Amino acid sequence: MLKKSFLLTAGSIALSAGLFSISVSADVGIDDIVADQASSDDIVSYGLGPRGQRFSPLSTINKSNVKNLFPVWSFSFGGEKQRGQESQPLIKDGVMYVTGSYSRMWAIDIATGEELWQYDARLPEGILPCCDVVNRGAAILGDKVFFGTLDAKIVALDAKTGNVVWRKTIGDFEAGYSYTAAPLIVPTEAHGPLILTGNSGGEFGIVGEVQARSPETGDIVWTRPVIEGHMGTLNGEESTMTGAKNESWPGDMWQNGGGAPWLGGTYDPDTKLAFFGTGNPAPWNSYLRPGDNKWTSARVAIDPENGEIVWGFQTTPHDGWDYDGVNEFVSFDMEKDGETIKAGATADRNGFFYVLDRTNGEFVSAAPFVQNISWAKGIDETGRPIFDDANRPGDPVESADGKKGKSIFAVPSFLGGKNWMPMAYSQQTEMFYIPSNEWGMDLWNEPVTYKKGAAYLGAGFTIKPIFDDYIGSLKAMDPATGEIRWEYKNKAPLWGGVLTTGGGLVFTGTPEGFLKAFDAETGEELWKFQTGTGIVSSPITWEQDGEQWVAIVTGWGGAVPLWGGEVAKVVSYLNQGGSVWAFKVPEQLANR
Amino acid sequence: MYPTILRSFFALLCALALCVSAQARPLDEVIDSGELTVFVYSDYAPYSWADGDEHKGIDVEIAKAFGKSLGVKINILMRGADENIDDDLRINIWKGDLIHRKVADVMLHVPVDKLVNARNDLAVITAPYFQEQMALVVDNDVLPTVETFGRFLNNPIGVELDTAGDFFLSSAFRGQLHNSVRRGRTFADATDLYVNGDVTALLASKAQAEWVATQAKDRQSRIVQPPMPGIVRNGWPIGIAIKHDSRDLGYALGDVLTEMINNGEMKALYMSYGVKYLEPDL
Repeated sequence: MLKKSFLLTAGSIALSAGLFSISVSADVGIDDIVADQASSDDIVSYGLGPRGQRFSPLSTINKSNVKNLFPVWSFSFGGEKQRGQESQPLIKDGVMYVTGSYSRMWAIDIATGEELWQYDARLPEGILPCCDVVNRGAAILGDKVFFGTLDAKIVALDAKTGNVVWRKTIGDFEAGYSYTAAPLIVPTEAHGPLILTGNSGGEFGIVGEVQARSPETGDIVWTRPVIEGHMGTLNGEESTMTGAKNESWPGDMWQNGGGAPWLGGTYDPDTKLAFFGTGNPAPWNSYLRPGDNKWTSARVAIDPENGEIVWGFQTTPHDGWDYDGVNEFVSFDMEKDGETIKAGATADRNGFFYVLDRTNGEFVSAAPFVQNISWAKGIDETGRPIFDDANRPGDPVESADGKKGKSIFAVPSFLGGKNWMPMAYSQQTEMFYIPSNEWGMDLWNEPVTYKKGAAYLGAGFTIKPIFDDYIGSLKAMDPATGEIRWEYKNKAPLWGGVLTTGGGLVFTGTPEGFLKAFDAETGEELWKFQTGTGIVSSPITWEQDGEQWVAIVTGWGGAVPLWGGEVAKVVSYLNQGGSVWAFKVPEQLANR
Repeated sequence: MYPTILRSFFALLCALALCVSAQARPLDEVIDSGELTVFVYSDYAPYSWADGDEHKGIDVEIAKAFGKSLGVKINILMRGADENIDDDLRINIWKGDLIHRKVADVMLHVPVDKLVNARNDLAVITAPYFQEQMALVVDNDVLPTVETFGRFLNNPIGVELDTAGDFFLSSAFRGQLHNSVRRGRTFADATDLYVNGDVTALLASKAQAEWVATQAKDRQSRIVQPPMPGIVRNGWPIGIAIKHDSRDLGYALGDVLTEMINNGEMKALYMSYGVKYLEPDL
């Protein structure tokens, strides 16, 4: 393994030598990122490879020895800012780069667990991030690491020192923009590598947009608004309009349509497309905006060369339930009826697992991955939901008599059958492992609320578990048949990502604080470790000095503790924390 | 970004006992410290807005009157409006913002409404000092008569994005005004739409409409209040909010407001911004 990784590194230096002057440090090349999944001695992308499969071929830790997995060190994020750790670390040359809540980042020496440097973004006074203080991870290229901060900036740091190389604005924090996702680095012929980000913001009045920058300077190369009617840019000039004005929006509402791709994107080296999911439309009341409201609650495929949308697929057209379409789109090749389909899959907020042809966005299949879905009766053969109009939230105007309006129960809740937490795809079992939640929401019209000092009819809601004994549900889904092969039930809602390995294992963390390992074939729980606080992040694995390591960031928070009603009962006792745990199987136990 | 409706849930975080923050304080602590922090909305002319580094507006003047009366220095905490009043009370009065946890001792321009007060038991809404209504400022030359909002089927009408007025216009007559509504990203933008003649009318609160009329010097404006079918309230009193453990501060500031109303100072203050003062109708 060591020899192989040496050859890989040597190969990429040789490859890039023709394009760039060779630098002396152990740089991350764009080829390393594209081939990240195959190389197991580093993790230089969010998702363990730009496709986001979260599959590591490593098999040193397997079903029989995982019981011997022990912690090597734990690294504290310190101070009072412990809450809400959703980050996935990166690994390069024995160094871990990990981001924390409140826009912080650390470099850690993996051999010793000691800090090499820490970077703290100075967050301005006027900042009011809409949602929470989380960060989901960094990107790495050359001698720089990149991450986004809560005041909607993207920062490039020197990987050796943590010093700022450049700092650029994604959006105006005073207008409600923020940033929490891991940036995506992709190769292009025309511009060299580009760093791609979505934007995020909670205020009505924002327009979702994907931005591509030069990793060297941070300068914008292209922008692509995801709402119809807006112009994109390329090399500083207007390029093309997204869709056509007013095609799926009334009046001037497209100007403030929402749709923020706040969870970032994935990239498929095979089709050379970047895939971004888009947020729900604004305003929330769907009766105010008749039409499909493109491209909100959708997946769009973007050509990184010029920022053009190659295809779009709306999971929830004319959304009325807050079903963000941001969940990750994972490329994989699917064998079905003797054919290989260049597929991509996504487990949507709306409770359906979609398989699309990733070359053109054409619908292949959809299957529910949570139970009792009530907002739609199913998905038709074109991929469009068959809405159940009885379970669309009512128009507030209909209850203008000042009384509480009709209440409906919609499943899933707006927090989704699956939320931000990434699923994993095993090339070994050919199954997806989906961290899901079984819950619905009561929705009604409030008799009165006020915005900026003026009265209007608002909406009220409460989230309810579907079952008495559990909300969280880790499921193994066969993408070819839509069949659930196994399920692990968890009392508290699952809010962490999943990892699967060549050792036939599936890892995920729970709000109760356990990092767990399951048999990828059967779902049998094989190992668990209590980290002392809730886990809401994504595990990783890599090889260093001939040993396989596993790591997880822990620190209860994110949106989870903010739920009221019956959900609060299962999470209110959980304690704060904020650290990274690193594990390995001690050498003397590896073969037992 | 989480969904807009999720944000109401953040209110519950404090109920889970995580509200260690800069404290909004009772009266004696305010007096001892010599400073009172007052929250006002940004971009909310004629009540409160920033002109460069300077804070301006009726509510800012009221804050200064508090300072004068209590003999303390005034700190203005000016922030934008969040999704709804419940969020504003949480962020500005009893919990603070997510990053810096900063709160004010008192918040101005809070609707006095029993339902709102009942939903937000960590804040106290008191001391009504003004009556809010909705109104249109219209260009007299273009629209000599405006009996109903049907007038705007074919005449462009402006409104600030994502406000009560916007929700009304977007849903009025089952969406028939969709093609006539022009939304300003901020109230200042919406004001510009009217001042520059891009729209024939602007829907806002009555005081805002009157103030916009004073800004549009080239237009012959008048204020009209056609029926608004489906609107939830025709008018509502405006008061102040303090934290639940600071009621005595609320009484002291309420006394200042009552005095200003009784001695005519309040009426003169509103008039200096071109706004007719309306007593709270309880």
